[in-house]
Amino acid sequence: MTRRVCVAGVGLADGPKTPDLSALMLQAQAFGRAAADANMTKQEIDGLASAGYGGMHEVQLAEYLGLTPHWLDSTSCGGSSFEFHLLHAYRAIQAGDVDTVAIVYGNNEFSAAGRSLGTGRAGGGGAAAMPYPMSWELPTGLTLVGAYAMAAQRHMHQYGTTSEQLASISVQTREHAGRNPNAMYRDPITVDDVLGSRLVADPLHKLDCCVVSDGGCAIVLTTEERAKESGRPLVYVRGAAAGMTHHSIQAMPDLTVTAGAVTGPKAFTEAGISPADVDTFQMYDSFTYTVLVCLEDLGFAPKGEGGPFVASGALRLGGALPTNTDGGGLSATHPGMRGLFLMCEAVRQLRGEAGDSQVDGAEIAVAHGSGGWLSTMGTVVFGTEPA
Amino acid sequence: MSDTGVPSYLIPRVSPEAAEFFAGALRGELRIQRCPNCGLHHHYPRLACPHCGSERLEWITATGLGSLHSFTVIRQNGIPPFKEQVPFVVGLVDLDEPGARFIAQLPTVAPEDAVIGMRLRATYRPASDEVAFVDFGPDA
Ligand SMILES: [Zn+2]
Repeated sequence: MTRRVCVAGVGLADGPKTPDLSALMLQAQAFGRAAADANMTKQEIDGLASAGYGGMHEVQLAEYLGLTPHWLDSTSCGGSSFEFHLLHAYRAIQAGDVDTVAIVYGNNEFSAAGRSLGTGRAGGGGAAAMPYPMSWELPTGLTLVGAYAMAAQRHMHQYGTTSEQLASISVQTREHAGRNPNAMYRDPITVDDVLGSRLVADPLHKLDCCVVSDGGCAIVLTTEERAKESGRPLVYVRGAAAGMTHHSIQAMPDLTVTAGAVTGPKAFTEAGISPADVDTFQMYDSFTYTVLVCLEDLGFAPKGEGGPFVASGALRLGGALPTNTDGGGLSATHPGMRGLFLMCEAVRQLRGEAGDSQVDGAEIAVAHGSGGWLSTMGTVVFGTEPA
Repeated sequence: MSDTGVPSYLIPRVSPEAAEFFAGALRGELRIQRCPNCGLHHHYPRLACPHCGSERLEWITATGLGSLHSFTVIRQNGIPPFKEQVPFVVGLVDLDEPGARFIAQLPTVAPEDAVIGMRLRATYRPASDEVAFVDFGPDA
């Protein structure tokens, strides 16, 4: 029988603006807080996973922390890297290859660069230094936001989805940010505010796009036995799955369907749940469309009906599916990649530690990460009971 | 070659599998790969068919005609020359040759005139001695 796996600790670094902290400092701060939350010394952590923008980032981090783990994962496939890390660590702990894994991310995205809204894509070396698939897109002037925008445009064309419906995602997420003292933006906004903000890449407005912040996050994954020793409320990993469809947007097989259509049902099946069982959803909201299309792909709304679903107010606290209860990437925190923060908030909800944003009696929480340009997807189901 | 106005950082290195494509584009032809095994086309050029995996590929000259699958209007791009060109339309074009989708600028389509499904025709824009870009515009 495989071992059961739990989250023993979670930690958030300072944020959303930390001009005096480097990326490694944010990572170390989050790591220290997660280890303390798990009542563990760093010597007990024998596995480390991290994603960054350079090479061997997890090895750099291990050295910085003074760790010598025997299990490493540097999967770096965009914002969902951390759901991939969790999947890999979950299996490795189940199998007995490793006992305790820390997954860590942190970056001073805001303080280092300021807000560019994903609209400067060339990077240092330009097209000659770009990966071959991307070298076909870059000379067209397409931006990161533009790639998502083309997908959203197609969804609107096929299903009649409206800008108002997309905007309602930002509005509901901002309501949650208002309850989070560490959120980047907290003042309420309306659908008209979103539609009145400038277009960045049609049909996406500035307020359809995530923020750029500083921040860091870490979670500690371990066996059920070790998690019980930590003394924290138990949160089990019930199921996880990951997948991808494409690198560049020109190769996305269907602009209205992501790999979440595979990873969601697969993770739900392992977890023994259906979408109706989910008490709270933590969804990578790089852009409003990311939320809408993945709500459909994971089965919270039928394909094509994500627009009416979100416009009904479903994402609110008290709604059918309270989503991004910490204020999400749209309003609270997005330090380059957000996949780990989703899982942290899911765990806080299941522990009853989500403060003013607590979903009463939450027993099942789902985190779904999206990376690249709707390219890579990972779904994780957490529960207060094992599957 | 005279200055094309395209900054060097936007001109890709010609990868071996793409040499035929760029040579064609410089002549004003849209050269794409077709897979005799599954009958489908693809773009960008590859060693093997992304649909079925066959390495037995042939080059054809495409009609240069297609339909707009989706698009966006880029209104913010911090990189020259795009910084000065905004707003402009970038689209995904489904070529008439089944299986091939093309990403391109639509420089002669005004933002308010872009419509999914509109018919488009390829045009060619030299960027260097080795590279020409393929744009699409209305097929009138
Ligand atoms: Zn084929």
